[in-house]
Amino acid sequence: MTSTPSAASISIHMSGIVQEYPAANGKGVLRVIDGIDLQLENPSINMLLGPSGCGKSTLMRMMGGVRPFNVKTPTQGRVDIDGQECLDQHDDAVTVFQQYANRPDLTVWDNVAFPFTLKLWKGRISQAEIKERVDTMLAAVGLADKKAMRPAQLSGGQNQRVALARALVLRPRILLMDEPFGALDPQTREEMQRLLLSLCKANPCLVVFVTHDVSEALALGDRVIVLSPQPAKIADDFAIHAEHPRSEAWSRSTETLRMQDRILTSLRDAKGHGQITLSV
Amino acid sequence: MAQFWNPSHPISPQTQRMLGVGAVVVVLVAWALVSASGLVNSNRLPAPWEVAMAFSRLAWDPVRQESLLLTSVLWSGGRLVVAGILVILIGLPIGILMGASPRINATLSPLIDPFRSAPIVALLPIMVMWFGIGEEMKIVFLFSGAVVYLIPLVRDAIRSVPQSYWISARDLGATPWECIRRAVIPMAMPRIVDGIIIAISVMWTYITVAEYVNAKEGLGQLIQNARRFSAMDQVFAGIITIIALALITHRLMTWAKRKMFPWEQSV
Repeated sequence: MTSTPSAASISIHMSGIVQEYPAANGKGVLRVIDGIDLQLENPSINMLLGPSGCGKSTLMRMMGGVRPFNVKTPTQGRVDIDGQECLDQHDDAVTVFQQYANRPDLTVWDNVAFPFTLKLWKGRISQAEIKERVDTMLAAVGLADKKAMRPAQLSGGQNQRVALARALVLRPRILLMDEPFGALDPQTREEMQRLLLSLCKANPCLVVFVTHDVSEALALGDRVIVLSPQPAKIADDFAIHAEHPRSEAWSRSTETLRMQDRILTSLRDAKGHGQITLSV
Repeated sequence: MAQFWNPSHPISPQTQRMLGVGAVVVVLVAWALVSASGLVNSNRLPAPWEVAMAFSRLAWDPVRQESLLLTSVLWSGGRLVVAGILVILIGLPIGILMGASPRINATLSPLIDPFRSAPIVALLPIMVMWFGIGEEMKIVFLFSGAVVYLIPLVRDAIRSVPQSYWISARDLGATPWECIRRAVIPMAMPRIVDGIIIAISVMWTYITVAEYVNAKEGLGQLIQNARRFSAMDQVFAGIITIIALALITHRLMTWAKRKMFPWEQSV
């Protein structure tokens, strides 16, 4: 049950990242990310926090996810994963999206086993291991008794569990979370956060978690990276040293409230930036 | 009346059946009354009982020991099945390719889309010139009429699958074509089958035209022949048969679709 190379030595290194899109009016370009340097290492949960549309998802997708199709990504700068330049999606990175995109015609079990039916993974792993991995994953996300059901018979939270299991069954070294719990109700969201923490404990990996929810960032993050509104720069970046799962007392402590204040302040102060940069 | 003008207010199956059957009965009674009153010449509008008589004569001719109706239905149905298989075999892949690739779509849609609104019937003389007056022409005609419906419907079914399915499969390591085959097409299948149902239904409306020219058998020929002898009762019987068959085909295909995609209903 070991993934190779070992999960303990992951690194994502981003330098001088600039992202521009063609402007909506057809003239010039819209700069969404304006010079970001970032170093992420080792199994840990890294929260990318910022206002909607600030480019945090785009930034995350550069870390081995599927990149935007219509534009060169990144426009400038370089992304390295484990010291090697990463130009497109990476086999060791898997993304969980807000839209869980489960196949409605397949059972829960088949949805989780879906990646192994793709050419990329076929033959790499024995049938027996696939079965063992899928069963283990389903038990881990608490859907062992629902494996014969179809997505339409599940709730939103359960569907997101399926998507999470389908991602983790590949034992990714990098787990990219693109506002995965954004559409869930508060109770389910909290459940999913607890689930994510326990899954990360069992399968250590480098998690990059995009959210615009400050309390989610504080509940999950080992590190919180705050991005300013468009064009995004790093407004703040700090570590949280607190045991997971974080207690009620911790989230009400002065220390936590101060962190929350700090995030809100840096988001507010960053607002001074121009919304649109036009060049050419 | 509070719920009368409310599109989403459900009505019970009994009410639905009662209203539907009631409407048909009202029309039949009105028809019978008009015929019985003698206001309209039966050469123009045959009485319901005359049509019923025509049905029974067509269903079994004791002199010739044959059922013209059955023979006609089998011929028309056979042509429809052959053309339908061709429509699916050719239209489905083209529609999928067009939906899957904007480049293929941009290339082919100017060649296909205009024919959806073009009068296919007007092409009949050309088809007669190209394919003669035999079976080939009839199949090609039915095929053309239906395939121009099916292709855009299949393309749109593919394109309406949320792109999150493609992206998610791609993210898991699928090749772009695998994303189409393993994520997008399965999602689009119910709508694709809807397209097939529409295309086959369209063929029933074209069958009479296809059998206008030199058909020796078939429902279109039956109607055409009856018209020539001013046997309006038989014309009516033929038309009613086509409507009934179209309805039955539609019901059967809808039922089959529900069986094929049980997961779709529970969404």
